[in-house]
Amino acid sequence: MGRPVLWGAMLAAALCLLPVRRAAAEDSPLTQPPDVHAFVSQGFMLSSKNNYLTHSRRGSFEFTEVGLNLTKSISDDLSVGMQLFMRDLGPIGNYKPQFDWFYLDYHFRDWLGLRAGRTKLPFGLYNDQSDIDSARVPVLLPQSVYPTTQRDFLLAQTGFELYGYEPLPLIGALDYRLYGGTIFIDQTSLAAPGETVSDLDVPYVVGGRLLWRAPAPIDGLTLGGSVQALRFDLDVSLSDELVSAFKQIGRLPPTASNTFKYSIPALLGVGSLEYSAHDLLLAAEYSRWHESYRTRPQIIPDGHLTSTRWYVMGSYHVAPWFSPGAYYSLFYSGVPGPKTRDKYQQDFAVTTRYDITSNWLLKLEGHYMRGTAGLSPGLNSNLPLAELTRDWTVFMAKTTAFF
Amino acid sequence: MSGRARETHRRLVLRGAGTLFVLCLALGTVPPVLAGDAPEFRVITHASRPEASVTHEFLADAFLKNVTRWPGDEAIRPVDQRADSAVRRHFSDGVLRRSVQAVKTYWQQRIFSGRGVPPPELESDEAVVHYVEAHPGALGYISGNVPAGKAKVLAVAP
Repeated sequence: MGRPVLWGAMLAAALCLLPVRRAAAEDSPLTQPPDVHAFVSQGFMLSSKNNYLTHSRRGSFEFTEVGLNLTKSISDDLSVGMQLFMRDLGPIGNYKPQFDWFYLDYHFRDWLGLRAGRTKLPFGLYNDQSDIDSARVPVLLPQSVYPTTQRDFLLAQTGFELYGYEPLPLIGALDYRLYGGTIFIDQTSLAAPGETVSDLDVPYVVGGRLLWRAPAPIDGLTLGGSVQALRFDLDVSLSDELVSAFKQIGRLPPTASNTFKYSIPALLGVGSLEYSAHDLLLAAEYSRWHESYRTRPQIIPDGHLTSTRWYVMGSYHVAPWFSPGAYYSLFYSGVPGPKTRDKYQQDFAVTTRYDITSNWLLKLEGHYMRGTAGLSPGLNSNLPLAELTRDWTVFMAKTTAFF
Repeated sequence: MSGRARETHRRLVLRGAGTLFVLCLALGTVPPVLAGDAPEFRVITHASRPEASVTHEFLADAFLKNVTRWPGDEAIRPVDQRADSAVRRHFSDGVLRRSVQAVKTYWQQRIFSGRGVPPPELESDEAVVHYVEAHPGALGYISGNVPAGKAKVLAVAP
């Protein structure tokens, strides 16, 4: 966890624990107790062929999430909040607690507010909700646009955010956010066989999201777009064996050292469409991620990739206790060459959510997958993705308690 | 498949998709039942508020906390009713145009992404009346046949 994250959280905690002034008015927000909410999720995953996210072929319970948050209004304009989160998903998380978000929020007007701290990235319709099992019908959001394995890079930034909501006479309302800052990432999570990431820096992440909320009679319709630009700078150390191998094939000069710098500027964009009215939710998003890469000294040629990602999704609250849903999601990696199985992943998911009580739910979900681009070689005996099974299925069950 | 057959097939698929879309929209926009002599809910505010009416959009924005201030800058203090109450269901369908379940999902999204907390839920119409009477800026709703006490009843413009 980055030190700024820790300091920010301690500041927020201190603000929350400010003694209540007796002189304050009886109904002042300061006199109200903080809002405390939490969730605990446990899932199970079983796949027919490839290991997906965890060792799912044998069936895996390494699918756990825990969150605890606290928010406190200091006045009508000023509030603070934080959420502690930990998870385990195969090789990711390992129950290491981290501050998901923390903020100091000054709500100047409805059309202009300022947040400082670690805030979730408003990318697309659901990125800032991707951890929240109780806030959606499916277990997994469409992984083409919201890849859970890249949560550390895409979930939150530490810096500032401007936000606002402006009703417009007769034509609906605009909901907007602009942000800039950096991302603190645990570099050990990036280690791969034969290489170590000794330093990882995100010098900037900037972006914004604009949503148009339609007026009656089509209220519930939302159209919008998000863009995000960021850069990863990595210092990578290769093992002696790997360096020798690169030297032998001429990828590295004979005098090259074991370390190199790797820079990845990226530009991400997504267009969003949602219709949410009464019990129905329909959503579709189309996204393109443009990533450049450069190594110094040059180990691989400089280049760039543009991946294409989209999905369509629907769900319906048939009854307060039962909501089925489905989506189709496509990820195409954009790697040049023939369209082999390792360059795409199609995901057709059917899901059901059962609200057993108002604070406890169970979800059952099936996926039919075609393609292997979303798989990790590390979970699949380090086999190249092109050698993994093209057509496969995944079953998931997940239960969440929350308040 | 011949070119003509392919075109016919394409038209059928498009027509089917169009019909499905319209059906979905229809399912999602079924208007709330607001028939009968007595309204199913009445909107109330603190007696000090000057407004005689509010718009549908303003009410929805206030209860979803997209809008947090009255004209004149006083903080809006919306107050909800129990999730299983009939009046909450009518208000949710009629004003928020979402089911109570969908609104709960909306608040789960807001709570756990750090974007806000829902209005307090009170146990009864009487509790809402007492709350609104006691809190300047308060905004609530009660069953149509329940006396509003010293609270001010607001007309709801479409």
